[in-house]
Amino acid sequence: MTTVKSDPTLLAEVRKYGKFDPHACYQCGSCSVACTLTTNESASFPRKIMRYILFGLRKLSLSSLDPWLCYYCGDCSTACPRETEPGETMMTLRRFLTAKYDWTGVSAKLFSSKAWQIAALIASGVFMAALIVLFHGPIVTDRVELNTFAPAHLVHQFDLTVAALVSFVLFTNIFRMYWFTMHQSNKVNPLEVIRGIAKNGLGFTMHKGNKVKIPFRLFITQAWKLILHAATQKKFLSCTNKSRWIKHFLLVTGYIIMFSLVVVFLEWFQTDEIFPVYHPQRWVGYYATVVLVWFTLEIIIGRFRKREEIHKFSDLSDWMFPVLLFLMALTGIAVHTFRYLGFPLATYYIYAIHLIIAFSWLVVIIPFGKWTHLLYRSLAVYFQAVKDKAMQLHLAKEGT
Amino acid sequence: MIELTINGTKHKFPEGKTLLECIESTGIKIPTLCYHKALTPYGACRLCLVEITQNGRSAIQSSCTYPAINKLVVNTESEKVIKTRKVMFELLLARCPDSEAIQKLAGEYGVKETRFEKKKEDCFLCGLCVRMCRERMGISAINFINRGSKRKVCPPFDANSDVCQTCGACASICLTERIKLEEISKNEVVPIKHEYNEGLIDRPAAYIPYPQAVPNKATIDERYCVHMLKDACGVCKEFCEAEAIDYEQKEKEIELNVGAVILSPGFEIFNARIKEDLGYGNYPNVVTSLEFERILSASGPYLGKVLRPSDETEPKRIGFIQCVGSREAERDYCSSVCCMYATKEAIIAKEHAGEDLKCDIFIMDMRAFSKGFDEYYQRAQELGVDYIRCRPPSVKEIPETKNLLIEYLGEDDKKETCEYDLVVLSVGLQPPKSVKEISEKFGIDLNEFNFCKTSPFKPVESTREGIYVSGPFTEPKDIPETIMQASGASSKILSLLKDVKGSLIVPKEYPPEVDVSGQEPRIGVFVCHCGTNIAGVVNVPSVVEYAKTLPNVVYADNNLYTCSNDTQVLIKEKIKEHELNRVVVASCTPRTHEPLFRNTVREAGLNPYLFEMANIRDQCSWVHMMEPEKASEKSKDLVRMAVAKARLLDPLQKRSVSIIKSALIIGGGISGLTSATELAAQGYDVHLVEKEKELGGNVSRVHYLLNGDNPQDELKRLIEEVKKSEKIHLYTETKIENIEGSIGNFKTTISTKGKSEEFEHGVVIVATGAQEYKPKEYLYGQHEGIMTQLELEQRLSTNGDLLAATGKSVPKNIVMIQCVGSRDEERPYCSRICCSDAIKNALKIKELSPETNIYVLYRDVRTYGFRESYYTKARENGVVFMRYDEDRKPEVSNNGDGLRVEVFDQTLEMPIEISADLVILSAGIVAHKGNEEIAKFLKVPLTKEKFFLEAHMKLRPVDFATDGVYLCGLAHSAKAMDESIIQAQAAASRAATILSQDSIELEANISHVIDESCDGCAYCIEPCPYQAITLIEYMREGSVKKTVDVDETACKGCGCCMATCPKKGIFVRGFKLEQIGAQVNAAIGAQ
Repeated sequence: MTTVKSDPTLLAEVRKYGKFDPHACYQCGSCSVACTLTTNESASFPRKIMRYILFGLRKLSLSSLDPWLCYYCGDCSTACPRETEPGETMMTLRRFLTAKYDWTGVSAKLFSSKAWQIAALIASGVFMAALIVLFHGPIVTDRVELNTFAPAHLVHQFDLTVAALVSFVLFTNIFRMYWFTMHQSNKVNPLEVIRGIAKNGLGFTMHKGNKVKIPFRLFITQAWKLILHAATQKKFLSCTNKSRWIKHFLLVTGYIIMFSLVVVFLEWFQTDEIFPVYHPQRWVGYYATVVLVWFTLEIIIGRFRKREEIHKFSDLSDWMFPVLLFLMALTGIAVHTFRYLGFPLATYYIYAIHLIIAFSWLVVIIPFGKWTHLLYRSLAVYFQAVKDKAMQLHLAKEGT
Repeated sequence: MIELTINGTKHKFPEGKTLLECIESTGIKIPTLCYHKALTPYGACRLCLVEITQNGRSAIQSSCTYPAINKLVVNTESEKVIKTRKVMFELLLARCPDSEAIQKLAGEYGVKETRFEKKKEDCFLCGLCVRMCRERMGISAINFINRGSKRKVCPPFDANSDVCQTCGACASICLTERIKLEEISKNEVVPIKHEYNEGLIDRPAAYIPYPQAVPNKATIDERYCVHMLKDACGVCKEFCEAEAIDYEQKEKEIELNVGAVILSPGFEIFNARIKEDLGYGNYPNVVTSLEFERILSASGPYLGKVLRPSDETEPKRIGFIQCVGSREAERDYCSSVCCMYATKEAIIAKEHAGEDLKCDIFIMDMRAFSKGFDEYYQRAQELGVDYIRCRPPSVKEIPETKNLLIEYLGEDDKKETCEYDLVVLSVGLQPPKSVKEISEKFGIDLNEFNFCKTSPFKPVESTREGIYVSGPFTEPKDIPETIMQASGASSKILSLLKDVKGSLIVPKEYPPEVDVSGQEPRIGVFVCHCGTNIAGVVNVPSVVEYAKTLPNVVYADNNLYTCSNDTQVLIKEKIKEHELNRVVVASCTPRTHEPLFRNTVREAGLNPYLFEMANIRDQCSWVHMMEPEKASEKSKDLVRMAVAKARLLDPLQKRSVSIIKSALIIGGGISGLTSATELAAQGYDVHLVEKEKELGGNVSRVHYLLNGDNPQDELKRLIEEVKKSEKIHLYTETKIENIEGSIGNFKTTISTKGKSEEFEHGVVIVATGAQEYKPKEYLYGQHEGIMTQLELEQRLSTNGDLLAATGKSVPKNIVMIQCVGSRDEERPYCSRICCSDAIKNALKIKELSPETNIYVLYRDVRTYGFRESYYTKARENGVVFMRYDEDRKPEVSNNGDGLRVEVFDQTLEMPIEISADLVILSAGIVAHKGNEEIAKFLKVPLTKEKFFLEAHMKLRPVDFATDGVYLCGLAHSAKAMDESIIQAQAAASRAATILSQDSIELEANISHVIDESCDGCAYCIEPCPYQAITLIEYMREGSVKKTVDVDETACKGCGCCMATCPKKGIFVRGFKLEQIGAQVNAAIGAQ
């Protein structure tokens, strides 16, 4: 049987990423009982991971998928007799894990420091502003010619380049997440990876202190779960408050549509010609912006009011995400409106601002910020499914 | 006056009565259902039929309605009467076959079945309800309507009445349970909840609050009494034969001048309704622990049957949820008693309902910290009580079955759901609601939890001088601790008011005792009705008549209440009038009433032991209520036996022993010092013996308390006080060589550095203390980084920094291991203080070096009472608590460059490794070896772990079974310093109950040796539970005579010796063989 080492510095490290007050906890288990997502066949949280952190079990903490499987309904925080806020603790752990997955170290800086976060956003904004000032096209003032001011194909090319860089960062981080969780190792270098795969195959899960290897085929057979959950986020439906699923789902559809429009189909979307209302370019755009504005505004108001458990605590990163999204949508609408009204200068300026925000979003929030939950949550469901299946097979084998 | 001939005997009665009243007053029983003393007779049931003969004509008449006319000849038992009555019974049984009242009365008259067709009616038109409502309530909300077979009782127009006051008198008087208030009244029916039974059942407006109420008297709840509210009813006054009902009684304000006050307002239970998720108040089968206590009680709502409220069926599975209202953010203290009461309730429930009953207790930590508790916890587990480590946040009901679902998290982090028939919420203790008012009225401070504020060195004192406190008012606590604190508070008052002590006592004067020697016994027999308690079953007049026929009985009569004041006067008069020299009372039990009657007899000038009692209530009328005739016969037997013994009674004299007004206190630790100063302050001499050179005991090694106070200053002050006191004779470096004698007169030999000395004293307080266990486990003594908590504390406090602890650098990681030498096979008890001590030291370390990591490896964190908030504080300060199981203890190893601790984690199911700079062992408390010798000197028992064993674990925590010897501090069991101080004060107070008297009276009914018959076989010595008998030898007529000697101060007269003696050489006075023999002969009818 393997022994796990206690690293007393772990807790202090986690605490840099937000509220973590497990010391008030006497591990009564109320939180995990209250959680509707905790099941015996799969993950159990929040008590388990809180113990890991408290006891300084670094490898186990990093290998845990629990924070991603929690959708923060706040039932655990209500149930807690010691007011330790396990719900918010899971939030902190998501930041901690995001930081740990990110090899560049930027996430760690952003999530543990407000100053870094603000500086990163400003720096990216200034960089974009400079680009616009230096490279914008001719300013036509007698009519709105946005594609002359900022030719769509150029912006598109730029978009794609940045997206490629961002994707590289994200994919490498995803690999780290895989390595942490499936190999219970925080050493990710080629030698270690080769050694690990030679020893443990594609990964293992733990049963009563012993390793259970995961057969390769499970990664394939369970892949549909990744797609299903990424597309539907249906885990939300197991939470007590079901209305959050539909709101989140609509927001995601809006975001994905808009993301596709501006990154993949920009040349079709950014036109100087104003199409009639029934043209898909218009109503697809309207749908996406309406849901974006509506639901980001709802989140922002919720965070101000602090009525629900989930909105009681707000880190700067929790503000930035909906606020930037909201501003992006708002400036997008403004560009459209000014263009429609035929105000050329106002259109160009607001477009510039729109680009600045979008760029900050693309280079800060997407690869290093809260946006990553979009990937990690879906992947966590997938990895957990693979692990659970492996355990099922193992138990069945053990049983026979 | 008129004259009636009843069954051939002539009787005189006052005029204006009915036949039934006259007949019943002679003791003859007439069956009736519709007759009620407080209502006008109605003649409905036709059971009270008698045959009357007047002017030569005989007729059958209902006696309840027939007036008593002069010269009437009545036969209550004639063949015709009995035959007709039986037919009436059959008719009633046919009409209302389900009425228990009819069945019972019919059964008494031998009618079990009816020949008539059963009608299944639930009303036989007795009219009790109608008359009650009209005559006593003055309302007439119900009446008879219709005629013939359609006749029935209902409100006007058969619609719910709006004049009905929902008093319930009609329903309570109904013999067939026909009347339902909801069907009668328009007004809301509000039952009066029985407070003592936690509202599980209802109670009437006139009631005795609970079976053990002091005084055990009925009271009238003026909020509900119809008489008090509306000047109607008054039925109880008519019924009370003792004429004790006085509606005019008013609340009185009484002013008392007192020198001191003890506040003991107790506690309130947490209102479980606040925890909505647990379902209390919404789900009928979720009850509080106090409700469940009532359910289990023989005097409770279900008479001790384990039933659940919703359907009164037996539950198969009961779940207990602990810490309801305790150990949470809002109330950050432990209620101290719930773990044990839940365990007790689970065990009792299994005893009552059978082994198949499953009991699960949901705990976070099992807090069985007091003496004997851990063994009890073990026993509960052996009996099949399951303990589940989780605090379930909610309870859900299955609406169809009213069963309850509890979801919990296992230690393996797996969720389980269990279905229960009944869920018990172990509600915590809170200060009483009136606490703010009390604190303002008395000018005392409360602590952060709104309990009364005290301090570790003044644990029975409030913040205001002269106001003392005891019980859960200062902190949630169990019965023994409450009793100790109460005694401790009285000790304080004994010294505060010592100058006026006894000044309000008026000594009682008795007339000189009459010498009855040589007189023929003249016995008076007083037979008690005890209201209807006895007379309702036993034919008391017949017992009196019988008693008169017994030899030597010169007087016999009956009394309504023999214990009443006027009867005492009567008894004294009769003793004078008839020159009685023996008195027999046939009534209740000597347990409660013998002292009263003995006193009465003595007041009449007789020796109090010329009195004998026959228990015809508890042992007769109560247990044979279904067989009145046999009960009457048994009463006669019991009276005959009592008279037989009374004939042989001798006058006995109580001996008295003078008291030497000084105490021996063994042990100069905090307990001994406290007891000594307390007794000295009360004005008694004290001999304080300490075996070490220095005073102070274990506390001299304690440098700070949980709350941060330094006890050394207070200890020094106490030692100074002891040294300065003229009353206290201090012997240090002194060993006790011998103690002999008994209460009032002990003689002790001591030796101080080889020098022997002897002194006498009246009482002994054992305060020998205990010591820290010297660990054999966890590499103790093999590495400088491994030490006990006390050793750590010593180091932490000498230099005040952590450097001192290691001698090298500030330790990064410290591991504390709990339960070292406690709660194992060798010492199955909990040492009580180690959890708090570990937390105390951990907090100290965190204060000195916040970056040091501390791990506490525990089995249960037992920070009871307010100690809980320090456990919280420790967690908040980053102390990590990890639980281990008894069968997988942590392992400590030394890998050369440091210590390594491995602890198996239940959740991970794998060991966690911690590297440690220091390993601190929370070593338990073990008894001193010397206890055995002291116990032998004092003839007091020890537990199997060699702590002293008190008289009763719960109720007499500082007394021994042996009088005049008291116990306090660690010698009794592991406890905290403030608890030792309380017990030491209590011991002083208990000792003062003896020392304050000049002499004590010994019981006269004790063993007596007949030297001639005793051959010194010594059979009697071992069985004596009080070690009162010793074998002695003396020279007689030139040879050695062996015999035994009884220590009259120790003997309690239990009779064990008498039962073992083969030679009739020892007997208990008042229970001589010939006296018992006479009783037995009388019982079996032999001569």
